[in-house]
Amino acid sequence: MSYALVVAEVRRGLFEERNLDSLGLSHLLGKEITLLMPDEAYIVSENVSHTIIRVKTEETSFLNPLTMTQIVRKVIEAKGAPDVILFTSSSSGIEQASYLAGSLDLPLITDVSGFDAERGVFLKSYYSDKIFGEFKPKEGTFVLTVRSGSFKESATVQESAAVVEALDNIAPPEGRSFVEYVEEEKGEIDITKADFLLSVGRGIGSKDEIPGYEELAGLLRAVLSGSRPVIDKMWLPKPRQVGTSGKTVRPKVYFAMAISGAFQHIAGMKDSDCIIAVNKDPEAPIFQHAHFGIICDANKLRDKMKDTIKKG
Amino acid sequence: MNLLVLTKRVPATQEEELRIVGDGQAVDLTKVPFKVNDWDNYSVEEAVRTVEKTGGAVTAISVGDAESDEVLRRAIAMGAKDGFLIETEQVIHDPQARATLICNFLKKEALPFDAIFTGVQSEDDQFASVGGILAAKLGLPYASMVIGIDAFEADHVVARRELEGGMQERIKVTLPAVLSLQSGINEPRYVSIMGVRKASKVERKVFKAAGYQEHVKNMIEVVKWVYPAKKGGATMLGGELDTVCKDLLGILKEKGVYQ
Repeated sequence: MSYALVVAEVRRGLFEERNLDSLGLSHLLGKEITLLMPDEAYIVSENVSHTIIRVKTEETSFLNPLTMTQIVRKVIEAKGAPDVILFTSSSSGIEQASYLAGSLDLPLITDVSGFDAERGVFLKSYYSDKIFGEFKPKEGTFVLTVRSGSFKESATVQESAAVVEALDNIAPPEGRSFVEYVEEEKGEIDITKADFLLSVGRGIGSKDEIPGYEELAGLLRAVLSGSRPVIDKMWLPKPRQVGTSGKTVRPKVYFAMAISGAFQHIAGMKDSDCIIAVNKDPEAPIFQHAHFGIICDANKLRDKMKDTIKKG
Repeated sequence: MNLLVLTKRVPATQEEELRIVGDGQAVDLTKVPFKVNDWDNYSVEEAVRTVEKTGGAVTAISVGDAESDEVLRRAIAMGAKDGFLIETEQVIHDPQARATLICNFLKKEALPFDAIFTGVQSEDDQFASVGGILAAKLGLPYASMVIGIDAFEADHVVARRELEGGMQERIKVTLPAVLSLQSGINEPRYVSIMGVRKASKVERKVFKAAGYQEHVKNMIEVVKWVYPAKKGGATMLGGELDTVCKDLLGILKEKGVYQ
């Protein structure tokens, strides 16, 4: 039977909202949808798919790529091969998708953010969103991971509730096991509470530039935050990171200096009321998401702003 | 511990304007400088730190053209013992083809290892999947987004994976295994030009990719390259820096965040 197998991303009892993007893309592909999820209590409509397969296994085991490969093999044994298998483009989704594609020798396209139905091509980011590739998988079952926010509007509600099936006899995973969740340390300041964030990216050049931005933030009464590379390089502490692996923020003003705008960063700040971006590269993706843009060297603008404010 | 670490030479496109040429058939990278993939820099560092504690050796492996020797020299300068290049002139886009090539190489050359480290993704194609496919093909356990290794024992590692929203999960993985490491896992050491020059005295081995082509095939094809769809775009503030500053402060006042 022709169908799309949507592997749900679930985490600590929550059915992640970005599953809607996988469901939306399946709908655009014109497939009957089979949703695969653990047999635990999640808040999800029974009308988002035609079939739901509830897998009798712990959530943490379901998320394990080794177990997921075993689960999908069993689904294929029972129902035949799907046309497409979809995961979310997330920490666990990509991990599972790549392991599955390697195990079953299937074509894989990750981080899919667009689909052209007429030409049957999937859009995938290259070079931090500066260019996109139109990809086509070869004939047969293929695997996708779907970028959050790309297709959720296309998710539809079916008229009737899904047929629920069960899958059991899943062996506990060997080779890799879950130990515990670890929460990030609390920072001295909560950037999600700030009305005005001054955020810096790797384009500032070096850690030596940070004190100058701290001073500007002080003058503007803004809170200083940063993008992933700045945190990785330890120029700013982790609790100040904006982005999918850090904090999602919605300040009145998000002032991004020398941040080019990787998708993971944009996802963490795009709902800010007003986004102002400064970058010397006119093609920086962040300008596509900003309300105001300035093309210049951020460090020069910083110094000029400090002078202007001090002069009153 | 014997650790293999994959390292890739990538275009440094962060501040470059990229042009699509030949009616969408290629992206012009001729004027773009190249560098080591950021994620691999962290992986090499982590591998070197690990063997400094446990003993053993790090072997850096790269797939690419002759120029990729550069990232091997760099890995050796950081502390890797050997550098192996799987040489090919072809640009491999499909992670399946890349992982199969590496898998064939590892099997044929029978390299002993306790773990293989890769970066979570490469900066250019961002597939983030070579590690996972390779692990599956070798029949080994896998973990990606590894942001910390808490313990490296003879038969297992205890590692932390980065999840969304600042959360992590601690897992135990049996060795041998493939681990894809996340940027920020450590603070990579500084590599001087002198260090790289000294490393170039260590012989690197070159293996022609043509010798490892069994089952290597492209399962996906690039039809065309396109620019991102333009959205509304920003209102640009231009002019002298003085004017820009004043306009900017005006906007901040209007938005009520600056008096």
